[in-house]
Amino acid sequence: MNEASLFFEVDYYQINKSGMSVAGDVFLSTRSDDGSIVTVLADGLGSGIKANVLATLTAKMASVFVLNSMDIRKSAEIIIDTLPVCSERKIGYSTFTVARIEPDGNVHIIEYDNPGFIFLSTSGAKKINCERIDIKSSPVKKNFINYYTLRLERGDRLVFFSDGVTQAGMGCASTPLGWGSFNTCGYIENLVKTDPGIGAGKLSRSVVSQALAHDIYKAHDDITCEVICCREPRKLLLVTGPSMHPEKDREMSERIRDFKGCRIICGGTTSQIVSRELEMDVEVDISKISKDIPPKSIIKGIDLVTEGILTLCRIAELLESGKFRNSDEANAATEAIAIMMNNDIIYFLVGTRINEAHQDPSMPREIEIRRNIIKKIIYNLENKYLKKTELQFI
Amino acid sequence: MEKIKITICTGTACYVLGGAALLELEDFLPDELKFKVEVVGSACLGMCKNALPDSKPPFVKVDNEVIHSATVQKIISYISQR
Ligand code: FES
Repeated sequence: MNEASLFFEVDYYQINKSGMSVAGDVFLSTRSDDGSIVTVLADGLGSGIKANVLATLTAKMASVFVLNSMDIRKSAEIIIDTLPVCSERKIGYSTFTVARIEPDGNVHIIEYDNPGFIFLSTSGAKKINCERIDIKSSPVKKNFINYYTLRLERGDRLVFFSDGVTQAGMGCASTPLGWGSFNTCGYIENLVKTDPGIGAGKLSRSVVSQALAHDIYKAHDDITCEVICCREPRKLLLVTGPSMHPEKDREMSERIRDFKGCRIICGGTTSQIVSRELEMDVEVDISKISKDIPPKSIIKGIDLVTEGILTLCRIAELLESGKFRNSDEANAATEAIAIMMNNDIIYFLVGTRINEAHQDPSMPREIEIRRNIIKKIIYNLENKYLKKTELQFI
Repeated sequence: MEKIKITICTGTACYVLGGAALLELEDFLPDELKFKVEVVGSACLGMCKNALPDSKPPFVKVDNEVIHSATVQKIISYISQR
């Protein structure tokens, strides 16, 4: 892994229109084979299921086109040409913004009728010139697309949002015309000024919460915000399972001790090994208990110490469903996910010794289970959350 | 007076076999016991690996005595009898 390369952290946050069980805004992100990241934010006409289907269709189509084609402008034309159109109103069924971020930091963005995105460098918001592409053949009224190119440097951020953000609070005395792009931008600039290290997750959540506040806590539309941060990659080491040969216990523990970044230990036996080797106390913290996940433990200097297999399973489930975003669940698994989301490169060090702690004649299977869960976690981290990972068995 | 130390195993085996419920022990303690005990969690106590048919997880230690197949009721009656 090239340590000096740029890393792009992508995250989003979303609240459905009040009373709706699904969102009409759809966010998708994928990494292509050449390492480019493609994100799409689509806003389907109306709200609820119908809007969701339309936006999903558009987002999926757009991301596939942009992933596979070299010329993003050409794909924009095709998308507009192919998009379903509302026959009465002659407007596209979905607005969208597609961004392709190449590994060297070059970014191409096409924007169709979504609020303009914000480009934030370390010195504040910057205007980016756009090129207007007309698509004459299209039957829709608004038959052009904005096309932007820019280059991301370390410390830069891109913020995209649906009109649920800019129109939040519309009709209220303080914001009769809605929050507006200008004020939204000011708010974001301020956030970054007060917290220069703010990550994509926290920033997108803050924007959505603020928009919701403008709507007086009852969203009038789906509110979605997507953030891309270009930053020095943050590193996390997750260690689980005792090493195959007890002689390696020391090595494993030292790797944890010497790692520069966040550290998580998953597993009772593993944490006891570390505590023994490094002569540090481990204490189970039963002050907060959850029904399904064993309590975490505390080892000074380690960010999180959890039980093993049950917690890992829950982490895998939550990453797969994405349900940790809008849920009140609070336990060792959600804490681990919060740490994962806040990091960019995640190293897994997985021990392969049969764990005597769960004596079961069929125990060799336990290793299989652990491996499979880790594989599932890694798959989701890479593909859904665009993290980089490295797996090593010990 | 020295407090009675109750150590609840929070290792995987004990946890799935009923240990989860034991962590709420403090909420169920009768008033006269509340101030007499100290409840702590522990990693695997190491007893699950040699568990015999009549000695099953979840394990709890009351000072140095081991209670197997522990339930909240069992622990409470055990300490009340001491
Ligand atoms: S898990 Fe409780 S004794 Fe092993």
